[in-house]
Amino acid sequence: MNTDWNAQAAEYVLGTLSADERRAVEARMAQDPAYAAEVRRWEEQLLPLAALAEPMAPPPRLWARLERTLNLPSAQAVQPTPAPLPWWQRGWQSLAFWRSVAGAGMVAAALLGAVALQEPELPAPRFMVVLVAPDDRAPGWVIQASDTRQVNLIPLGTFEVPPDKALEFWTKADDWAAPVSLGLVAPGQRLQVPLDALPPLQPNQLFELTLEPATGSPTGRPTGPIQFIGRAVPVL
Amino acid sequence: MPPTDDFNYEAALQACARGDAAALQRLYQQESARLLGVVQRMVRNLPWAEDLLHDAFVQIWQRSGSFDPAKGSGRGWMYTVTRHLTLNALRNRQQETARETAVDEDTLDVLDAHASVQGWREAEQDFAWQTSTGRMAGCLEQLEPERRVCILHAYVDGLTHAEIAQRLGTPLGTVKAWIRRSLTALRECLQ
Repeated sequence: MNTDWNAQAAEYVLGTLSADERRAVEARMAQDPAYAAEVRRWEEQLLPLAALAEPMAPPPRLWARLERTLNLPSAQAVQPTPAPLPWWQRGWQSLAFWRSVAGAGMVAAALLGAVALQEPELPAPRFMVVLVAPDDRAPGWVIQASDTRQVNLIPLGTFEVPPDKALEFWTKADDWAAPVSLGLVAPGQRLQVPLDALPPLQPNQLFELTLEPATGSPTGRPTGPIQFIGRAVPVL
Repeated sequence: MPPTDDFNYEAALQACARGDAAALQRLYQQESARLLGVVQRMVRNLPWAEDLLHDAFVQIWQRSGSFDPAKGSGRGWMYTVTRHLTLNALRNRQQETARETAVDEDTLDVLDAHASVQGWREAEQDFAWQTSTGRMAGCLEQLEPERRVCILHAYVDGLTHAEIAQRLGTPLGTVKAWIRRSLTALRECLQ
């Protein structure tokens, strides 16, 4: 076994190979038991590094989905019928919505429910973004967009900003080269932002609030740490 | 049911091979949170990470008959299945569209700086990690810090040579050489 193939075995396990190189290693493993054993040795030796990734509990629906996929007998013979939801909660039940808030979980649901109840005069939003803190995923702001031309930034609480700093609001769609500033935001205050100068709002569009100098970013790009971040999801 | 230290992965996988769905559920309860953490760290997209974890457990169930305890640990086999499913998905997608252009580098840099560098520093001081990683921790310590970061960016964050070079501001050839030499050094240290 030459040195190059040994190195490929190690880097296959490490993860640095391209799709084509990975296929070549897998093809060789299928034909060459000694080579497959060499790859397995690397798997066992590098496995302890996997402990560096912080565990994340999957949502309960993932096991239910697995049971359906594999057609397993369900642990619960009788599924309880859920009570019908009030109208303002139905949107929150969409899969896309839950995926977008990820770790924010029930706290976000409760807060969002409260926001929705306070805003009965607004037409149903077409896009919703929950901005969460990157560290602990605590929800801090909600963005509602009742059409694709304007967004409402709604605080869910108060947020301290150092005296010489300001919060700057940014957005970036997947196919844009760089984030675009939507202006400075006063902590704890609502903000309506027209999107006239930008293309229409897109699903998955990124929104974030960063900490910048008091007069805003000097470069026109985010320069400070992200305080809150989230992506737009279509809601029912 | 929380994960337990004395879980018998091999017996559970062999039970899966006999069609015992309760054994798969025990494996899921034991390892799904750790595996989701591994996948999410690499793909940084929770809906996608959940899809991949789902697919990994489908494979674990369907391929459990091919698990051979003589060739390695049951837990290691589950990580192998899950990591390579994830790496193949990442690399196949990169072949279609360059991942660098599909994500916001500024955002990722901030999140990664937290996740990787700080995570590593915390883990370095974490006694539980030191014991769980055993000799690996000592062998990693012997690598120069920038080379150690390359290995961790590759294995834990799922980055390619080019992505690591870009992240560290180091020439691609240097990163490739560092990684090759580090792997050789790790193997010598671990043997």
